[in-house]
Formats: sequence, C-alpha cells, structure tokens
Amino acid sequence: MAVAQTAKRKKKRDWYRLGFIALFLLPALAILGTFMFYPIKETFRLSFMRSSGFGEEIYVGWRNYQRIFASPEFRQGFVNVFKWAFWSVAIQIPLAFFIAFTCVNFRTRIIGRLRGVYYLSNVLPSAITAMLGVFIFSPTSGVIKTFAKTTGWKWLESIDWLGNPKLAFWSLFALATWAYIGFGIIYLMANIEQIPTEIREAALIDGATQWQYAWRVVIPYVSYAIRVQAILATVGSIKLFDLPYMVTLGGPRNATVTLGITLYREAFLNWQYGRGAAIGVVIFLICLVITIFQFSFVNDHSATDHSI
Amino acid sequence: MSRSKLSVLLVMTLASLLILSSVALAKTTLTIWAVDGLELDDPHHYYVQNLVKTFLADNPDIDIDWVAFGSEGAALNNRIRVALAANVGPDIFQSWGGTFMGEFARMGKLLDLTEELSDVPTSEAAKAAMSYDGRLYGIAPFFAIAGLYVNEGIFEELGLEVPTTIAELEAVAEKLVANGIQPFAVGARDEWPILATYMYLVNRYGGTIFDDAVARKVRFDAEPFVQAGLKIQEWSKRGFFGNTPMSEGYGDAQLLMQTGQAAMQISGSWLCGLYADPNQTDQTIGFYAVPVLEGGVGKVTDLAGMTDVGFVATATAADKKDAVVRFLTYAMSVEAAEKEAGRVASIPGVNPPNRLTGMASDVFTQAETIQFWWDQNLPPALTTPVNLTIQSFLMDDTDVKAELARYELLVEDELGSVR
Repeated sequence: MAVAQTAKRKKKRDWYRLGFIALFLLPALAILGTFMFYPIKETFRLSFMRSSGFGEEIYVGWRNYQRIFASPEFRQGFVNVFKWAFWSVAIQIPLAFFIAFTCVNFRTRIIGRLRGVYYLSNVLPSAITAMLGVFIFSPTSGVIKTFAKTTGWKWLESIDWLGNPKLAFWSLFALATWAYIGFGIIYLMANIEQIPTEIREAALIDGATQWQYAWRVVIPYVSYAIRVQAILATVGSIKLFDLPYMVTLGGPRNATVTLGITLYREAFLNWQYGRGAAIGVVIFLICLVITIFQFSFVNDHSATDHSI
Repeated sequence: MSRSKLSVLLVMTLASLLILSSVALAKTTLTIWAVDGLELDDPHHYYVQNLVKTFLADNPDIDIDWVAFGSEGAALNNRIRVALAANVGPDIFQSWGGTFMGEFARMGKLLDLTEELSDVPTSEAAKAAMSYDGRLYGIAPFFAIAGLYVNEGIFEELGLEVPTTIAELEAVAEKLVANGIQPFAVGARDEWPILATYMYLVNRYGGTIFDDAVARKVRFDAEPFVQAGLKIQEWSKRGFFGNTPMSEGYGDAQLLMQTGQAAMQISGSWLCGLYADPNQTDQTIGFYAVPVLEGGVGKVTDLAGMTDVGFVATATAADKKDAVVRFLTYAMSVEAAEKEAGRVASIPGVNPPNRLTGMASDVFTQAETIQFWWDQNLPPALTTPVNLTIQSFLMDDTDVKAELARYELLVEDELGSVR
C-alpha cells in the first residue's frame, strides 16, 4: 500500500515537474515557432510557388530552383560568397592573430590605444562603414583621389576602384577586412591573454624566438578560438549583404554580388517572391551544413581547448 | 412644465448639443506615406511642406498623419508592397505611377478616382502616368523630363555651341576631353542614372521602338537597341564619361556638375532646383532638349520622362473618399505649388521658380511624345535587369548584342516571345 502511494506521489511529482518545464519552455517555443520555424517552413513552401506577393500563388515545382541555378547572377553570387569566405579565413584571421599577438606581447602605450582603434570599426554600423568606403573610393572627392591629385600620381588617380570588375571585389574586401577584423582581434587577444605567464617565460628562457613562441605555443593554445573565428567568418560570408549592397549594389557586372543581394533583387525589386524564397532556402541549407560541420569540428576540442 | 420635466429637457438638449458638437469636431485623419519629409529644411521638400500646411489651414475637419520614408524611394516602395498585400497601409501614398502603381491597380488595391479627378486641370502626360487600364488613380502635380544639362560657362569659355545633333555633341565632347573636362557626368555606379541617356539614344536610332518591343513586335536586341548600346560603349571608350564612370555615383555626378568638373549631364528635371541654387553651385547651367541623330528616326520633341511628385489613393481609403479627393485636388492647385523650388509643374498657371526650370518647362511644352522611364514602366521583374544591362555597356569588354539577347530572354519569360 505504502509502495503504491509512493509510486503515485512520484508520478504526480513527475507530472508537476514536466508541467513546470513546459511552462518555462512555452514562451521560448512560442516565440521561436512564430518568428523562426513558421517563416522557415513558409519560405520552403513559397520556394515552390510563383508569387509576386499579391494574389494567387501558382505551384511551379522545382522551376524556381532551376531558374536560379541557371541565372549567371546567382552563380556569380555563389562563387563570390565562397571566394569571400576563403579569403576571409586566409587573410583576415592571420591578420587578426598577428595584431592580437603583437598587442598582447608588446605592451606599450600606443598599442594599448590601438586596441580601441581596432575595435572601433567593429562597433560602427555597416551603413557608416559603407559611407566611409564610398568616401575613400569616390572618383570625385574620395580620399585616394585627393591624395593622388595632391601628389600628382596620375596612375593612382586613374584607378577605378569600384568600377573595374577585376578590382571592385578586392576594394570591397579591403574595406570589409578593416570593418570586420576588430572582433577577431579582441576575441583572439582575450584568448592569448589566457596563456599563463609561466608558459611564455619558459618558452623564452628555453631560447624560443617570438616567432617560434607564436607558432609553437600560442597558435596551438588558441586553435579552438581560431576555428570558431573561421566558422563565423564563413557563415558571415555566406550571408553577406549590407556592405556590398550599400557600396556597389553588387556591381559592376555582378563582380560584388552576393547570394543575399540576389535574394533581395529577386524578392523585393523583381517581385519574384518564389525565386527569392528559393535563394533563401539555398542560403539556409548552406548555413545548415556549415553549422553541422561546426558542431562536429569545433566541439572536437580535446587537449588544445583553452579558449574562453 | 414641472421642474423634473424641465430638467429632463435641459439634459436632453445638452446631450444633443454635445453629440452634434462632437460630430462637428470629429476630424478625418488621412494617413499619407511619402518620400519627401515635412521637417527637413531642404528646398526639395518645400512643396509637400507648403501643401500640408496650407491644406490643413483650409480644411480644419481633416488631419494628416504624414510618414516620410526618405528620398531613395525603395524604402517606401518596399513598405507599401507589404502593407497593401495585407490590405493595410496608408490612405494615400507618393508614387511615380507607371507599372509599379499599375500592379497595385490590377490587384484592386487602389481607389479608382476617374470621375472625381477628371476635371482637375493637368497635362495629358501627367494623367497618363497616373492611370492604369484607362482608369485614373491619382495626380501628378510635378512631371520630370530628362534633358541635356549644359554648363554654359564652360561652353562660353571654350567657344562651344549647344549641340543639336549627335555628331555635334560628339565634337563638343571631344573638345571638352582635350581641355581636361569630363564631357558627361553620369553616376553609373547607381545603375539607373545611365538609363535616360540610353533611352534617348534608342529613340534617336529607332523612334518608338521601345513600345513595339513591349508589345512584342520586335525583340529587345533589335538593331536600334544594339546601336544605342554600342554608342554608349564607344563614348565610354573615348572618355566621354570620365576615367571612372562605374565608380561614379549619382551624388558624384551632381558634384561634378556643381563644381564645373563635368560640362554636360543627361538627367531628369528634378535637378533644376539644385543647379539653379546659387548656394549649391556657382556654375551657370542650362537645360536643353537632347540632340537628334542626323538620319535617325527619333525627333527632338520625343522626350523621356515621368511623374516627379505624384499621389495615389488606396482602396482602404474608400470610406474617406471625400477627404482624399479634397487633398488630391488641392495638391494640384497653384496655391499648393507656389513654394516649389525647381520641379516642372504639370499644374496650369504655376510659374517656373527659376530660369533653369523655365528652360525645362519650355522643352516639356514642346513635347510630342513622352516615353515613360523604362524602369518604371516595365513589369517589375524586368526593371532592375534593364538597368544592369544598360550599365554593362559602359564597360569596354561587354558584348552589347549578347547582353541584350540575354535581356530578351527575361522579357520573353515575362511578356512572351515576339509575335
């Protein structure tokens, strides 16, 4: 009898517990469901429709996907975001590491102040960054143009930074490197600072040069943080929209177009919601694959995980 | 009469008065979404500021809730699409008419005001821009036409005549290049500013061939379209658009004209206010018709243009029709337009506020045909691609014919093949 009563009480307690958990989860689930899961589901549905946002939607099967993959603009956007991702990892992360390492290991008053300068670009809204970019590259009153005129360097004056399809990508990438590197520097600095002083001292007493210390001690120590940076840079590149759109509108001749820009053009300028949704699905799937990769790759942080 | 009856009567009278006065005081609020703002101290916004101020003073029973989205237009257009799709939104919104407005009209999202506005005096072009399928949905108090802005000071200094033919234009441009002055300010980085130049060249080569292409009688890669594209490419190669036309934004182009670094610009008459303002520029700039091509089809009186400021009423404002019509009618009055600083009015009796606007008005009044902006008058799916296609002509290695053939494929998808 007593056993049965205890079991009954336990069952009741479990129900209370479950109810309690549900109560706490409900608001989060409701918000996620309304603003995330439902829109994602709708985007998938819409990607199989022909829709201008008004009136009836016509089921077109895989046609939107066929159209976007056949579009040179989309293909260029696809190439551009992966190119952007590759160079972000190849250039921005080593540069961020170099600056972070210098800031931590060569503490002077100037370097202390430079920390603020490096991070400043990261806190600026992208609209301001874009305006600065246009101001730098402007052919009428830009910083480079003015400098070229002052020095009389005609060759520099005639460079079409944003108008030449071969140069526009790199002009924009340089601007983005300045704009986005601040976070990487601060994040890596925070991780490098976690390295115990004794380790550094031991390495230097053993005769390691700064280069050897950086290569053989610091990089292995912060490798987890570097991997996180690489994942963030890759996902950020896939979703890239604001800076290229505000500076070059994706041009010239789609040299700086991204998947985000093609989505915006299709959905909001061309009124092709179905095709826009199909591009959205492609971006979603790419990000999903990268995220899964992130879980399996970044979470594999055995001995080298010292990051914060 | 007993005291109680008297009290009841008094209360009833008071109640009736209260109801009547509240009815009389009840204001109709018109919600208007616009690009121009009421707060900005900028001559470009003086018309709407004066319009709202004087309208409210004359119509105490109407209130206005004015929401400005900024002069780019895209913010308002995107917002209006989402709102009207959900059958919410403003009573009136600022619109340039054309297919963008027509798409809303086709879906029954706009208020048909054909009868109500039929007597409002305006130009036929302005009326046509705000109509869809023969029905009128709004008004266009100001109408923009594209023309040739010429820096008359530079021309005088170099002994140049304002060109009347394309050949003369090219000779002038050559001389300007030789003197280190950029012949044309263009602003091609923003895509759309090169459209007016191309539209005129297509017209000069092929007349009204654009209409035929939309009607699917000819392809968009027909000869006049290709010739006009090749001409732009040739001019670009000859340095007529400067060394860096693709880096030059529309703001840059204006700056080049304002500072005398560029001598000509083919653009809309909305710039008249800016270029005539001595606080903005010390250059003397004139406005002329775009030259004709000797042996070509298009005439000097064939213009490109469209609504500069327009207003359209939405179907959700059906229960406020009287207030809407009063506002739109007033917007077309001389009194409302008297503070405008530079646009070309389509309201009879409005005098141009400056010499430059007067020159543009003169060109406008001689118009025999007006081709609406292609990027406002093609189906939405074709507007951004048309600007991108034309922009690509400025690059030396663009295969003009191939680009136009690619555009034709998009057109076929939207409008069908040539019949």
